[in-house]
Amino acid sequence: MNDVITFKAKDYKSGVKPIWCPGCGHFSVFNAVTKAMAGLGMNKDDTVLVSGIGCSSRLPAYVDSYGFHGVHGRGLAIAQGLKVARPELTVIAMGGDGDGFSIGGNHFMHACRRNVDITYVVMDNEVYGMTKGQASPTTPMDWDHSKLTPHGPGVRPFKPAALALAAGAPWIARAYSGNPNQMAHLLAQAIEFPGFSFLHVLSQCITFCPQQTDWKAIVNERQDAALEDEDEAARLFLHEDGFQTGLLYQRQRPTWPPEAAPPNDPDLTGGFRL
Amino acid sequence: MTQTDLAAFLAHSVELESEARERYLELADAMRAHHNTEVADFFMRMAHESGLHLEEVAQIAAENALPDLKPWEFDWPGEESPETASYEAIHYRLSLRQAIQLALENELAAQAFYASFAQSSADATTAELAAQFAHEESQHAAQLSVMLKELPPDDAHHREDDDDPHMPE
Ligand SMILES: Cc1ncc(C[n+]2csc(CCOP(=O)(O)OP(=O)(O)O)c2C)c(N)n1
Ligand code: SF4
Repeated sequence: MNDVITFKAKDYKSGVKPIWCPGCGHFSVFNAVTKAMAGLGMNKDDTVLVSGIGCSSRLPAYVDSYGFHGVHGRGLAIAQGLKVARPELTVIAMGGDGDGFSIGGNHFMHACRRNVDITYVVMDNEVYGMTKGQASPTTPMDWDHSKLTPHGPGVRPFKPAALALAAGAPWIARAYSGNPNQMAHLLAQAIEFPGFSFLHVLSQCITFCPQQTDWKAIVNERQDAALEDEDEAARLFLHEDGFQTGLLYQRQRPTWPPEAAPPNDPDLTGGFRL
Repeated sequence: MTQTDLAAFLAHSVELESEARERYLELADAMRAHHNTEVADFFMRMAHESGLHLEEVAQIAAENALPDLKPWEFDWPGEESPETASYEAIHYRLSLRQAIQLALENELAAQAFYASFAQSSADATTAELAAQFAHEESQHAAQLSVMLKELPPDDAHHREDDDDPHMPE
């Protein structure tokens, strides 16, 4: 990363025009990603954005860096493999709540546990947007707007931050699509954190969940410093309303693999040694 | 930011105008992709106007060494720069009237931002420039108000969709 800011956020846009619905929160995440990259003066050639499948997972195509639009729920597997093989790269994985907590839920838990030095951004709109509005693991129990669950899914939604903490994530923050500048700052910190950093973004789906525009009035920014104590963080994540933004928890621990292969080592197997 | 600092004021002005332009361009493209052509054309026109204002501000700013602020270091009255349409206010079925109304609110927010500098800055050059920018924003706002007056009221059904994404209530 350079010390001097040489690029503006717009310089990190690929020129591919997003086809998201106007007003989709994922636009804001795109905005924050390019701002974080500009703020850190990131080198496009050393940065890789990896995603799964979903509206949210289209984001890497819109950024002028390397990118990999992967398989549904498998963005984290690809991102971790890449980082282990090429530790000198900055790797940012991303996707939706369906991608990350349903089909990719197992990868999520193990990525938190393994602690490879990557960033993971989940754009949580509490719905499967791309497939036209089915319930996801974070959908409220009584959300009855989908023809598949006309009386609501009837099951408790996940608490992503609590899950991440229990699985061992050392850095947990929450952002909101209504505040892309705060999100960009959090993302920059996530990228700089040496370990697995999980950024949970409340990102509205204006088309299937228009009621999410009400989030603006509920979201509140955390004023206190990030928690370092796991027990305190567990209490917070189990009992909060899920609308507190900011850096919530941070406790550094050794990353995986224990001894990373030196950059550009032609022997790729070195990075997989246990 | 100290309100007497000309360089900081200019850095904010450049960012404000360039963010407004970028957002209007993004909205125009998004509306076109969703076949809302008249709103797409209107946002494109707003992007063009923000671009003209940006050129003017950038020319003045070029004579000064501006601080290198990171995108999150700008000191805005709200979450985003004042002339930027917030994502919560946007929908693919936005009518032209609603789009103009939104743009009008953006112009007024920018005017208020510049006017606050004009009133509070102890530095004469900053105050003078800020007053000039505020005046320009108020002229844009007046033009949009005229456009609004000339438009017929919205059809009550403009938000209906043959393939509504929602369960009937
Ligand atoms: C293996 C597989 N199963 C199912 C699908 C269908 N599918 C595509 S996107 C998606 C869910 C997307 O929801 P989310 O990840 O929350 O992203 P959003 O579209 O809301 O941004 C599903 C189930 C698929 N593409 N591949
Ligand atoms: S369906 Fe929802 S998530 Fe997908 S682009 Fe539209 S608003 Fe965004």
